[in-house]
Amino acid sequence: MLPRPSVSDVVVLDRTELARGVILLGFHAPELVDVTRPGQFVMAIPPGGERAATALAIYEAQGERASLLFFVCGARTRELAELRPGDKLSLTGPLGNGFDLGAAANVAVVAGGVGIASVLLPAQQLTQRGSRVRLFYGARNVEFLVDRDRFANAGCELCCATDDGTLGHHGFITELLAQAEDKPDLILACGPSPMLRATAFVAAELGVRAQLALEETFACGVGGCWGCVVPLDRKSSQAPKFPKSAGDFVNARVCKEGPVFWAHELRW
Amino acid sequence: MSGMDLSVKIGKLELPYPTLMASGCYGSGEEFEAFADLSKIGAVVLKSVTREPRLGNPMPRLVPTPAGLLNAIGLQNPGIDWYLEHEVAKFAQRPCAVIGSVAAFSVDDYAYVTQRLAARDEIAAIELNISCPNVGSEGETFACDPALTGKVVRAVRAVTGKTLIVKLSPNVTDIAAIAAEAESAGADALAVINTLRGMSIDVHAWKPRLGNLTGGLSGPAIRPVAVLAVYEAARAVSIPIVGQGGIETASDALEFFLAGASAIAIGTANFTDPRIPEKIVNELGAYLEARGLRSLRDIVGKANVGFGTPFQYEGDVG
Repeated sequence: MLPRPSVSDVVVLDRTELARGVILLGFHAPELVDVTRPGQFVMAIPPGGERAATALAIYEAQGERASLLFFVCGARTRELAELRPGDKLSLTGPLGNGFDLGAAANVAVVAGGVGIASVLLPAQQLTQRGSRVRLFYGARNVEFLVDRDRFANAGCELCCATDDGTLGHHGFITELLAQAEDKPDLILACGPSPMLRATAFVAAELGVRAQLALEETFACGVGGCWGCVVPLDRKSSQAPKFPKSAGDFVNARVCKEGPVFWAHELRW
Repeated sequence: MSGMDLSVKIGKLELPYPTLMASGCYGSGEEFEAFADLSKIGAVVLKSVTREPRLGNPMPRLVPTPAGLLNAIGLQNPGIDWYLEHEVAKFAQRPCAVIGSVAAFSVDDYAYVTQRLAARDEIAAIELNISCPNVGSEGETFACDPALTGKVVRAVRAVTGKTLIVKLSPNVTDIAAIAAEAESAGADALAVINTLRGMSIDVHAWKPRLGNLTGGLSGPAIRPVAVLAVYEAARAVSIPIVGQGGIETASDALEFFLAGASAIAIGTANFTDPRIPEKIVNELGAYLEARGLRSLRDIVGKANVGFGTPFQYEGDVG
């Protein structure tokens, strides 16, 4: 049973620019901390409410503080990046299904760029219960491999890759995943779509099940508009109920049935 | 706000508030129940249902645009058989009225789906979506041609006594003519307007951004277009009009009432903040109270009063 989401006005506590355009925004939101499952997201409504809300993963949730980690890539994220401690914003959430960590004991977490925002909570939860977590973390260069220490401190083993070779493997992070020794029993991934597709491919080759946190443009974020769909095997437990006559796949909402899907059930 | 009468009558349908949640924007209400008090809205207009199941358009289906949203969902729905069997029963739990929405590609199918849907007690009224811009050209053809509009409304009128709201398209030359035709064919009310057709192109990829290539534009960007459409339709008919198109605040809503709408619908604004509908209702009450008015009916169409032929300088032609 997923927690009941709500709309809340929160106050910004801290703002840090971790790399050029990568913003970590912390705020006081005990109501969110209590109920958030790893991999869930919020719709962030900038003050004034004149712009559509934007969907962002919940990065940290501890004590009374939660945070968002995002890359400034448009008007809405630019507005959020301008917030300073003391400013208010409204959040709708937590939304979406989140990761299913099951009983996995040896987990490979794959993150590309700002996709790191979705995977801190599951990584922390896994290490806390004694599971082995290897973080496969890729970005264009070392500057954008942000917040690595936090993962190391949480007990994750780090394997990094950069497009320009400034840290770790010079190439794609999924190449490191494919070469990993001691095969994981679960893969969690969040990042750009090509990286997720490559992760799904590698997971299938390794014979390991993978959960992918997808990113999509949302309008409502709560399942009301059907604007963010992905084709899903109709036999998936996540697939919306739909007549069999329509075919062997169903368009599932990334915001409602997802954003986390089993890689082998996606028909992309 | 106590004592303010915000109630509205649309055909046989009596609603405590004049705010409808626009079709396709609010799911079946269930999706928003955690964030919005549904007992403080007039009605939810459901997502359109068709005779056969539809998987909808390919992605991407959404493109944010300046002060607006371009969408091309493509009427994804499970078809009327499945809908009646698995979904309609749960609409009885909503604390507000539930209005069914019907889309089709032929006159016969409009009548067939309407007859079956309207027969259910959970459905308080029917909105006829003859103006979806995102399913080839066929869907919208009905609302773009007065004769076809008349034909489909007459066929549907013959199969149900429930309140019939006909949703018109702004993508026409003369919306007044179509509004008049819908009224004479038996419509109880009009929903004005559906989205405006639009396109957005990715200049790096050299291709349209929407999977369907074209879409329908909503949001504040289309508000003045919608206000004018309501104004023109209201002068052509005497049935109530549900004004819609980019309403985000009570002030926006008041423009529609003054232009001639008896009720309003809120769509895209729910994506900005799901608390907007309740805020609008509260502020409409305060607006009336501040002016010593008792009812919204006192302001409907009042922007028409005193407007004759626009002033022209002597010698100007046309």
